[in-house]
Amino acid sequence: MKEQIDLLLKDIKKLPTMSGVVGRVLNLVSNPDANINEVASEISKDPAITASIIKLSNSAYYRASKPVRTVAEAIMTLGLHTVKEMIMVSASKGVLQQDLKGYQLEADQMWMHSLVVAEIARNIVTLKKLPIPKDLAFTAGLLHDIGKVVLVQFFPRKVLDIRDELKHMESTFTEIEKKHFGYDHQEVGLKVLSAWNFPEELKEVVAYHHNPEEAKNFQLLTSVIHIANALTVISGIGIDIGGINQELSSFALKKTGITEKDIEALFMGIPEVQKQLQEMPKG
Amino acid sequence: MLKQDSKLINVGIAEIVVSKSPTLLRTTLGSCIGIVLYQPETKIGGISHIMLAQDSMGKDKVKNPGKYGETALPLLIKALEDEGAKPGTYSARIFGGSSMFKNISSQFLQNIGENNIAYVREELAKRKIPLLVEDVGGHEGRTITLYLDDGRVLLKKAGMEKYLYKVR
Repeated sequence: MKEQIDLLLKDIKKLPTMSGVVGRVLNLVSNPDANINEVASEISKDPAITASIIKLSNSAYYRASKPVRTVAEAIMTLGLHTVKEMIMVSASKGVLQQDLKGYQLEADQMWMHSLVVAEIARNIVTLKKLPIPKDLAFTAGLLHDIGKVVLVQFFPRKVLDIRDELKHMESTFTEIEKKHFGYDHQEVGLKVLSAWNFPEELKEVVAYHHNPEEAKNFQLLTSVIHIANALTVISGIGIDIGGINQELSSFALKKTGITEKDIEALFMGIPEVQKQLQEMPKG
Repeated sequence: MLKQDSKLINVGIAEIVVSKSPTLLRTTLGSCIGIVLYQPETKIGGISHIMLAQDSMGKDKVKNPGKYGETALPLLIKALEDEGAKPGTYSARIFGGSSMFKNISSQFLQNIGENNIAYVREELAKRKIPLLVEDVGGHEGRTITLYLDDGRVLLKKAGMEKYLYKVR
């Protein structure tokens, strides 16, 4: 099985695709002196993303203070970082909003899960005043489970073994994936983001969000996503075949300074987060 | 299979929905509890998707009664009876209340599933609403679909699915 997955991972044409504009804009924006005109002209090379930014800018969710008609206006009204976030929402939706049958996840649940983790991650950064850009936390949350989209193709041949394994409940679900596929969804996700030339911090989050203590350079960001993901799964939003077969890392709680009271507040705030996200345009 | 005229309503987290045949109500649960009430003669039924037994601060439950068992269950009962189900003629089934696999780092998350289960069982007993079926606890996620035409529930968890037909 591992060999077959290796073959697929080597063939970039068989991996999910993302507009080249996204990687270039992410890298442009990561420079603190990013030039707005340069970013706007890069974005305008992709008509679908351009249209989506204008639509999102005028949505109830982003609430621009005045009507936005162009990408440049979006950047001026809402800021570069918010526009970057919109690019990620628009570009990753096509990849993430998919039925993941083997995982027992429907497209809308997978997408809502990704959005809720993104939003809670941003809320954690605000709540604990962490030194992480909020749009980075949002983007990392959005993409954390991208590996599932690839790994799901291999489920049909393994699903009976996995079901059997789930009866015993002796391992976390990432351990079960690793045992039966040779890879877990974190490792596969890392390969996908590498193929897309995405920044290091996003790759680390995708690769270690179940074991944040193993992250190398971005342990704080990875810890934020770890906690956001755990809370979202427990709430049932996007809970998959693996159930709550995961741990809550005490390392991540220490690293972020999240207390028992914070956990309760973040968890009980999930319905409001979801309501807010429903104001994003559907199309 | 969905019949042409059956409408599927998703019951979101902290929501309460009551309807009648041939509507389908669906919800997905982790540590939350889905309380299902059904009246087989009138084919009226509902689901309340609660997150927590009680509001320890006492403020949020006023604004968001659907989140807490203490405020949601009375509302579910009221909605069901307003729709036409007579007291004493309907019964309950409960699902969910999972807990984390291994988690010693948060008491709140560790106990939330078990506390929810215990609370709902006790409240139903207090109100003399028969509890016919329960599939609770463990570490699984569950998706339940309530078919109001005959009250059956389709339960999906851990890669399996089965129909539960007991309604009285």
